[in-house]
Amino acid sequence: MEAEYDFETKFRDQILQCSRCGFCQAHCPVFGATLRPSYNARGKMLILKEVIDKKLDLRNEMIETLFQCTDCAGCSKSCPSGVNVPEIIKQVRKDMVNIGICHPAFEALNKVLKKHTNIYAEAERKEFNKKKIGRAQYVYFVGCVGYYRESEATLASLKLLDRLCVDYTLIDEVCCSGPLEDVGYPINEDLVQKNMGLILSTGAQKVITNCPYCFRTLRDQPQYAALKERGIETIHITQFLKEFDLSVKTSKKVTYHDSCDLGRHCGIYEEPRDTIRKIAKNFVEMRHHHSEALCCGAGGGVRGGFPKNSIKMARRRLIEAEEVGAEVVLTDCNSCRHNFSNAKVRRHNFKIYTTAQFINELLEAG
Amino acid sequence: MGQQNVTDLLIDLVSYSYDASDHNHRPEAAIWPIDTEHVSRILSLANEQRIAVTPRGAGTGLSGGAIPVFGGLVLDMCRMNKILDIRIPDRLTVVQPGVVYADLERALAPYGFFFPPDPASSSVCTLGGNVATNAGGIRGAKYGVTRDYVLGLEVVLPDGRIMKTGSDCIKSSSGYDLTRMFVGSEGTLGVITQITLKINPKPTSVETGLAWFSRLSDAGYAVSDIMHSGIIPSALEILDDNTIKVLREHGKMNLPDATAIILVETDGYTDTETAFQMGKISEVFRKNAAVGIRVANSPEEVNEFWQTRKLIGSIAAQLRNSNVSEDVAVPISKVPDLLTGISMIVRKCGLPFVIFGHAGDGNLHPRIMFDRSDPDQTERVNKAVDAIFRLTCELKGTLTGEHGIGLAKAPYLKLEHGPIAVEMMRAIKRLFDPNNILNPGKMNLESSDGS
Repeated sequence: MEAEYDFETKFRDQILQCSRCGFCQAHCPVFGATLRPSYNARGKMLILKEVIDKKLDLRNEMIETLFQCTDCAGCSKSCPSGVNVPEIIKQVRKDMVNIGICHPAFEALNKVLKKHTNIYAEAERKEFNKKKIGRAQYVYFVGCVGYYRESEATLASLKLLDRLCVDYTLIDEVCCSGPLEDVGYPINEDLVQKNMGLILSTGAQKVITNCPYCFRTLRDQPQYAALKERGIETIHITQFLKEFDLSVKTSKKVTYHDSCDLGRHCGIYEEPRDTIRKIAKNFVEMRHHHSEALCCGAGGGVRGGFPKNSIKMARRRLIEAEEVGAEVVLTDCNSCRHNFSNAKVRRHNFKIYTTAQFINELLEAG
Repeated sequence: MGQQNVTDLLIDLVSYSYDASDHNHRPEAAIWPIDTEHVSRILSLANEQRIAVTPRGAGTGLSGGAIPVFGGLVLDMCRMNKILDIRIPDRLTVVQPGVVYADLERALAPYGFFFPPDPASSSVCTLGGNVATNAGGIRGAKYGVTRDYVLGLEVVLPDGRIMKTGSDCIKSSSGYDLTRMFVGSEGTLGVITQITLKINPKPTSVETGLAWFSRLSDAGYAVSDIMHSGIIPSALEILDDNTIKVLREHGKMNLPDATAIILVETDGYTDTETAFQMGKISEVFRKNAAVGIRVANSPEEVNEFWQTRKLIGSIAAQLRNSNVSEDVAVPISKVPDLLTGISMIVRKCGLPFVIFGHAGDGNLHPRIMFDRSDPDQTERVNKAVDAIFRLTCELKGTLTGEHGIGLAKAPYLKLEHGPIAVEMMRAIKRLFDPNNILNPGKMNLESSDGS
């Protein structure tokens, strides 16, 4: 049978490889929050299998499941048949967009990034009173969430870098454009070129990213390959902080949430823990951690497209923080922090910080 | 029914058309019942209107039991997922059918108790599904299967009446055992809405060992010899040469180049006890010409041993886009005959296969990998499966040790049970469900002409 869509050409074998065992149900955050099997990875693969078999065509009704995936990779990490669901979903979304089927929120995101330089279409942003576009050893790349939604956490991380006497500069950055790829659109080359030009102009040898998704985009997307070619390494702030001797301690009970982008997608589990263990002797893991960590529910466009379920997913994760009696929940993703803050209810008497933000607070107090 | 609890959206109907078997059929709608009364209202309406109703747990079944072959309604029970009670002094727990096995396990752990069957799908499968299929797992030899733990049920009958079966007592000789009738009935007699399960204290000490053999028959004899030793291991898993080859070549696992591997676990309450048991079993292995024996010395090694067993399914599955996984069982002494017999049958069909399983309770999993889109391969697989079922019945075995009859094995029901027993099963079905609305098309219960 002739393939009609690119996802068939690229992923036919993988989709047919799905043995329908349903084991992904234990990991899928959307299923966990809704108990609706059609939202689970297996439900998605079954639809695609029927499209491959020409029993169904891609259509509007499928937006609700095919666009409701946080790209957390929990399913693929544990899939006995080795099906790479997030990559398949990314391709299917592109195929759907190509035939004019898309979630309105994702369509809007693409439009926004044609006009604006951030995902929120905000005209102004907090500038943190920092020098910009100077020459420095490091570029600190903040990301849209850090600028427009989590500026407090960002400011704290900048203060921490200052305390640690790091020679860094901010740039007049624009959206890394990576999220477009997740929701069915190509990366916006104009935005990429703008960022690359700014980074190169600083003479920096390393880009320290604040946001794990920007980290993945700058490090891995071919559009950003010129950075690597020019010898510029992209690292995440957790990898950077690990090298420092931090002179503060806390007796509080601390737990850590692995963001999907940093953890399952990049394999960065131990660096943040190394740092946290240095400062918190009372560190506990939640029920699901490392590659098993539950998703906060924000990724893959789900916070924008399906806000109610997104919050439900975040609440499920916060229940695990409650279970271990954490006083402090750390995560090194602003987007996770943001979703958790939105999902937090009065009963939750823990505080949620990024690791850098927490360290900075300890330093300020001490 | 409550709008938010009903769906006829395409995405849901696609999902509910499948389970982990090779079968599929679209339902017309699906409902997520919220309580027993809800189920009762749904069933009485469906009974009046003669609408087929297929109850469903997590849809992990391997024999097509949850496929709505007559369309109609799927009852997805997964939202009735409360653990209602844990009563340690009474040694029982009361759960709703949608509780996931692993969630119950976690809830019992703080009390030092467990619900032993441990199916391979324990992270997702529901207890309602476990009861409906009489699910088993790796601990069958020592701890039995789901049936051995169900003390009582609340069941909604097809006409909407709510029936209680069994009691909260560990013992009962009172009346017909309706509870057992529902265990393994695959949703054909009623919808289970509450389950009372006996629970066990969880052994605190475990020892794990691995033995390998150069002849499959030696491994088979070792299995039946263990029963003579007076020790019942908590797990006794066997892997044939194909399985070992697949794990070595495709799973890049560091395994001895053997014809058979046995993975064994002993459990108890002191290390001395488990070590004593493992010592006895090692003696049996040596007596039966084991080429090598390893006993795990660290949690990492235990994990490594179990990975060998747990990854078979996934690694084998990647060899082709489809596979059939059977679960035939024979009396333990017949395990060597079943192993060699299945090997001979499947080798003839010229497709990759592995045989592994729970040797300690006589339950083996031959798995044949093939390409579903190739009619010739599909035909060869069907023939091999047919021959495996016939061999199993000749060995006085059973078609299914733990998956259930469902659709896949329905045509063979009479081969195992004979015409009289099947006719009695059909009579029971007619008694409970005269309009045949509950999970119709399963277990070969439809026809009453003795065919």
